[in-house]
Amino acid sequence: MIPPKEFLKRIKPFSFLSEDELNILLSNLEVEIFEEGEVILNAGKISKYVYLIFSGSVGIYQNGEMVDHIGKGELFGVISTISDTPSSFSAIAIEDTVCYMFGKEAFKEVFKRNQRFSSFFSTFVTKKFRSFMDIINETASDAGERVLLKDVASIIHKKPVVCSAEDNIIDAARKMMENRVGSVVIVDREFHPVGILTDHDLQKVVVDGRTNALVKEYMSSPVISIEKSSPVFEAYVKLVESGIDHLVVTDKGKMKGVISSKDILSEFEPTALLIAVYRRIKKARDVEDLKRGIELLKSSVSELSNKGLHFHELSRLINSVYDTLTVRAIEMALTETGTKDDFVWVSMGSNGRKEQIIATDQDNALICSDLESMKEFASHVNRILSEAGIPMCEAGYMAEKWCYHLDDWRKMFRKWFDEPTPEHVRYLSIFLDMRPIYGKISLYEELLEDVRESVTNQALRFLAIDATSIEPPLGFFGIKRIEKGIDLKKHGIYPIINGVRVLAVEQGLLGVTNTVERLEYASEIMGRERSHALRESFEFIQDLRLKHQVFEENNLLKSSELDKLSFILLKESFKIISEFQRYLRTRFRVDGI
Amino acid sequence: MTGIRETKFSVVDVETTGLNTRKDEILAIAIVPMTGTRIHAYDAFYTLLKPEGKVKAMHIHGLTPDALKNAPEFDSIAPEIVRRLENSIIVGHAVEIDASFLRKHLKKTGFKIEFKHLDIAEIEQWLADRLGERGVLSDYSLDRLAEKYEVKIPYRHNALADAFVTAQIFQIQLLRLMKYGVNSFDKLIKLLQAYRSYAKIF
Repeated sequence: MIPPKEFLKRIKPFSFLSEDELNILLSNLEVEIFEEGEVILNAGKISKYVYLIFSGSVGIYQNGEMVDHIGKGELFGVISTISDTPSSFSAIAIEDTVCYMFGKEAFKEVFKRNQRFSSFFSTFVTKKFRSFMDIINETASDAGERVLLKDVASIIHKKPVVCSAEDNIIDAARKMMENRVGSVVIVDREFHPVGILTDHDLQKVVVDGRTNALVKEYMSSPVISIEKSSPVFEAYVKLVESGIDHLVVTDKGKMKGVISSKDILSEFEPTALLIAVYRRIKKARDVEDLKRGIELLKSSVSELSNKGLHFHELSRLINSVYDTLTVRAIEMALTETGTKDDFVWVSMGSNGRKEQIIATDQDNALICSDLESMKEFASHVNRILSEAGIPMCEAGYMAEKWCYHLDDWRKMFRKWFDEPTPEHVRYLSIFLDMRPIYGKISLYEELLEDVRESVTNQALRFLAIDATSIEPPLGFFGIKRIEKGIDLKKHGIYPIINGVRVLAVEQGLLGVTNTVERLEYASEIMGRERSHALRESFEFIQDLRLKHQVFEENNLLKSSELDKLSFILLKESFKIISEFQRYLRTRFRVDGI
Repeated sequence: MTGIRETKFSVVDVETTGLNTRKDEILAIAIVPMTGTRIHAYDAFYTLLKPEGKVKAMHIHGLTPDALKNAPEFDSIAPEIVRRLENSIIVGHAVEIDASFLRKHLKKTGFKIEFKHLDIAEIEQWLADRLGERGVLSDYSLDRLAEKYEVKIPYRHNALADAFVTAQIFQIQLLRLMKYGVNSFDKLIKLLQAYRSYAKIF
């Protein structure tokens, strides 16, 4: 097979093509190298080829200005070729660049023959993001098959718990309890598994009344085992055929770990993982339990993200887990301090907006109708959460500090709206995202009523200025910046969240804090298309950030982490955000500031 | 004197049963034509050849004896090969071997054809020497060159694939040569000849 075919097969949308269709393209392929500075395609000319950059990079110029900078794996000249219209841009090699060039007629034919191939371009051209994303996500649909082919070793979650055949059964049971496992593997001196003792066997021990028996009397032997490099599918078959629930995984005959049918099933149903975490947190008796719950939550987030779950789904699943966690912490504090629940606990920040996936710090406050001993109580809850693993907020936006009587909250909001100093604008952007988590919701609703009355145009204007002050990186320097590393939160997520908040507040939508929900409501005034595009951009950038955060703790994303398509989408998203900011500036008349 | 941009090249790769031109046979031929730096991938030529003698299985990487059995004989495609190679310069990796196999086989079939050839490994040595990159490569194997020129993409080795990768390397080398002022084939040949005698002295 000629190498270009292998190269093309890995690149969307060529990967959609059949062997025949690929051959049509290849039988019209030329490869050319362009010297740095050389014009590849001239504006106003009808392109004879569709160009695919094999190496190097190309600048796209309109009216003498570089509007885009594209590189390996990216295409240009498609529209001009397909529609026989003069190219609207010039393409110039920024460095020595090798292009694969597809002959016009061949490309047109394939374009006509393969609908997925052509719709890839048309969605791209009309910027219909969603369908574009669908195309990307389609690759995730065979996830089920991939799971079956993984090594069993990869789904072992716990360290092996082992004992000897001569041990007392009570010691084995204790070991199981301490390690929170449902089985213990009995090994000989060489660490070869000789038997297994499960919860089920322990029931028999109890029924027989023989807690002083030895392990070897009750263990199942020999064990059914599987070598660690076998596929999960084989493990699944073994479990089903033998009707057992635990399978010992061996490494060249030596004990390596245990997998259960639950482990396999949770591979297929990723959200099952979260349900387990949720139960654990719900049943937590002390801080230690909560802490373990959060650790589990963190590890399941990275796992779920790796399995291809998206921000949209994950945030919905995970925020209720965080809410439950907060409620458990509050309930613990209530029991410990004997405080009466005459208050409402609210969350702000990403948790307030139901957009939290990885908790980086606490953002909470308390509204009450009787301040008596409330501060101590709030501080107690903050401490429990912190000990459980959600760090205190460095800027101090926590209930121990922001614990006020309803009337004081009313006054504060009124003041912030009436005197929009930078400090007050900051408070507004924080506390307008508050969402009740626990307690007397009526207190929160009363406050909301009052806030709605307090909104001033002047404050909105300052919120709009705030929302448009940080712009996404665009143009040549912007793209260079993406290459060096871009703060997705600062340049992508915040501009959307802050901008959408202003619109929501302007519309009096104070009870809605979620950005996507706000966008939904605001689509009437801002236009369906804009709202839709923003939502796609928001979720796309959140997805990128999520994938990034699984590996690193910061928000700084480098373009080297991005595949080509994601890089293009990120640039498109930034363009959408920038357009949104222009809209906000006009709407709130902040131009020229 | 034709400029490099107008010069016709034929990037060739032949697969043989061994390295001995007298005893060994050609099993596959690939030709990828170029004009200047442009690779005409659409016009690439590839064929298996039916060997006269018995082929030991160990010789044929990825070529099934069945496929070879049903392949055309060299004689029947010789005119096609001549047509393609005529009036062009043969380019290859360690091309001396490919060229001598072709010369010998064509001669046997009654074609007398003289061709000039260029070796990308030799060009690489010259470029490295002139541009001060000497020592960067520990060897000049096709794989190593493909890596260096970043044209290495996963593919199964066969004559066509190797010829194509060779063409992509040669394409970049040509651009570098032109930047260095080498704008005609004759100039390039002279430089390489001078380099060869220089290399012999040291």
